[in-house]
Amino acid sequence: MTTDVNQAPATPAPEARRRFSREWIVAQLIRRAMLIVMLLVIAFFSYRSLRFTSPDNLQTILIAAAPFALIALGQTLVILTGGIDLSVGSVIAVSGMTAAAVAKANPGQVWLTVLSAMLVGLLAGSVNGFLVSRIDVPPFIATLGMLTAGSGTAYVIGGGAPINGLPAEFGSIANTTVAGLQIPVIVMIVGIVGFGVMMRRTAYGMRIYAVGGNRTAAEIAGVPARRTLFSVYAISGLLAGLSGVMLASRVISGPPNLGQGYELDAIAAVVIGGASLMGGRGTVWGTALGLLLIQTLNNGLDLLLVPAYWQNVIKGVLIVAAVAVDVWSTKRRT
Amino acid sequence: MLRFTRTFTGIAAAGLALSLTACGAGDPTAGGGGEDGGGGLRVGVSVYDMSSFITAGREGMEAYAEANDIELLWNSANLDVNTQASQVEQYVNAGVDAIIVVPVQADSLGPQVEAANAAGIPILDVNASLNSDALSASVLPDDVAAGAEEMRMMAEELGGEGNIVVLQGPLGQSGQIDRQEGIDQVLAEYPGITVLAQDTANWKRDEAVNKMKNWISGFGDEIDGVVSQNDDMGLGALAALKEAGMDKPVVGIDGIEDGLNAVESGDFIGTMLQNGTVELAAGLAVAAALARGEEVPSDPVYVMPRITQENVAVAKEHVVTGRDAFLADLPDLIAQNLESGNIAYEGIPGQEQ
Repeated sequence: MTTDVNQAPATPAPEARRRFSREWIVAQLIRRAMLIVMLLVIAFFSYRSLRFTSPDNLQTILIAAAPFALIALGQTLVILTGGIDLSVGSVIAVSGMTAAAVAKANPGQVWLTVLSAMLVGLLAGSVNGFLVSRIDVPPFIATLGMLTAGSGTAYVIGGGAPINGLPAEFGSIANTTVAGLQIPVIVMIVGIVGFGVMMRRTAYGMRIYAVGGNRTAAEIAGVPARRTLFSVYAISGLLAGLSGVMLASRVISGPPNLGQGYELDAIAAVVIGGASLMGGRGTVWGTALGLLLIQTLNNGLDLLLVPAYWQNVIKGVLIVAAVAVDVWSTKRRT
Repeated sequence: MLRFTRTFTGIAAAGLALSLTACGAGDPTAGGGGEDGGGGLRVGVSVYDMSSFITAGREGMEAYAEANDIELLWNSANLDVNTQASQVEQYVNAGVDAIIVVPVQADSLGPQVEAANAAGIPILDVNASLNSDALSASVLPDDVAAGAEEMRMMAEELGGEGNIVVLQGPLGQSGQIDRQEGIDQVLAEYPGITVLAQDTANWKRDEAVNKMKNWISGFGDEIDGVVSQNDDMGLGALAALKEAGMDKPVVGIDGIEDGLNAVESGDFIGTMLQNGTVELAAGLAVAAALARGEEVPSDPVYVMPRITQENVAVAKEHVVTGRDAFLADLPDLIAQNLESGNIAYEGIPGQEQ
């Protein structure tokens, strides 16, 4: 008799419908896994290092996050359509080098510098978009080509070498503070809020989800799938261009290997944020959370003096764990 | 073979002017090779990548080659060991008079070095070392001494007391290991100096700025100085210090243009100059001497001069502002250096010939 009682919860019981049942709580915990991990990480670092929670350190995390945030936003849009943009790291290099070259030739023309970098980014993104949307080259291949060609172009611009001896004005792009925040941080905040609202509230945002969810269905419903696809790659390139000029400006230099490998950090942020690489599922807020988690880890592990190579191990485990939990919880729900 | 011919034509175009001017002056009997006329030497060069250091070095090599009847064959391995191996094989097959390698990786090219030896072609490593005892010569910088010297500069600045952070190159790379060894040697002499943190920023400015910013968060004003294993990371640290409104001494190595500017403006307390133009040209001079069967020191060491505010003007003139004049005088300078044995000498105050 007692055995029967103990086994009771294993069978689907009517109590499961109750709002605060154990199942409900577990389901909520799993769905909010990333937020919980984030809070645990923050709690751990705050406990281990008194300086972690200082306002200065928060700024330190934000300024490090800013260039990654821009490319992660672009990457979110691309991944939502079921694509991928491997070229952002190289686009950062090309636009950073362009900005450096323009700044060296026209010292003082800060706006020209920023605009030329963004234009180069937009151009690279448009080429990706054209290849993917019109020629139907698989996104992985199209952007892989741009990754390689872009990296080469960055070296061409510098004649095989970094651009040194830049005017001090070039540093003003990233190093000016407005209302106590450095410009890249402001751009990041505006970007996250802007894209977050756009994806939730505008028809354009809906179209991106629709194309990524089921392209055929979207086309039947009248969504211009090709134009939507083109636009996400163009936006991703544009944001990478902006990211490149900010990175170069922050250290007042144009190294041709700027941004190398950053595409993987951007993809990691999107994936940790809960987006599906199949497309159609994911949010800007999730990406922002994923990005802040990575940057918080970078910062906190540095504060605890964990060597850089161990930091990579920890981040790698986190990425896989995040996706594993996500896949598992999706299976449970269905 | 086809691939080599193509590369060769490209290089020949660049070197055309050189060989034309050299033809009349050259002694046709000099050198063992040169069966394709001209009479001068042909030296094959394979570099790891076209970094700014190598680009500067190439100019030095070309200046020396022009003055000494040498035809340079030039190839970049784009950081790939296998590409470099096939480039060296091509040089051996082409029967050049000497081969210079700036290696991608220390543990590589064993069979290629053997092949060059078998063909009687002198082969040497320049700037970065190749783990092989079959090399004809080596022209390498003393990275241990450079690390020791930069640490000494910082220790003197701090009066032997204080806390530092150390920015390192990619862990495991010979430059990082050797420079760290030098830093550690000097640290052992100064028990009053504590290393608060040390970690890699992979030689990169954009990585160093974030690493330094995090350390500033962690240690704040406890940090008294930054010892960076190269100028680029030092400049990243400098950007982080400026963002935080802090003014602390920073020291680097390499003497790149921005690093020299930072020394001039007082942002860096100093750097160690590794002038690629001088170092690589010295490598070519040793290669040419070996090919001609002349007596030459087989392991000359490039000892980087210490650059501070007192002598930075001269260094800047050699590296940036007065480059053409420096290149014009370079062949004579290199010849004198080979005689004296100090291959790093370029007349910077404090240097002895």
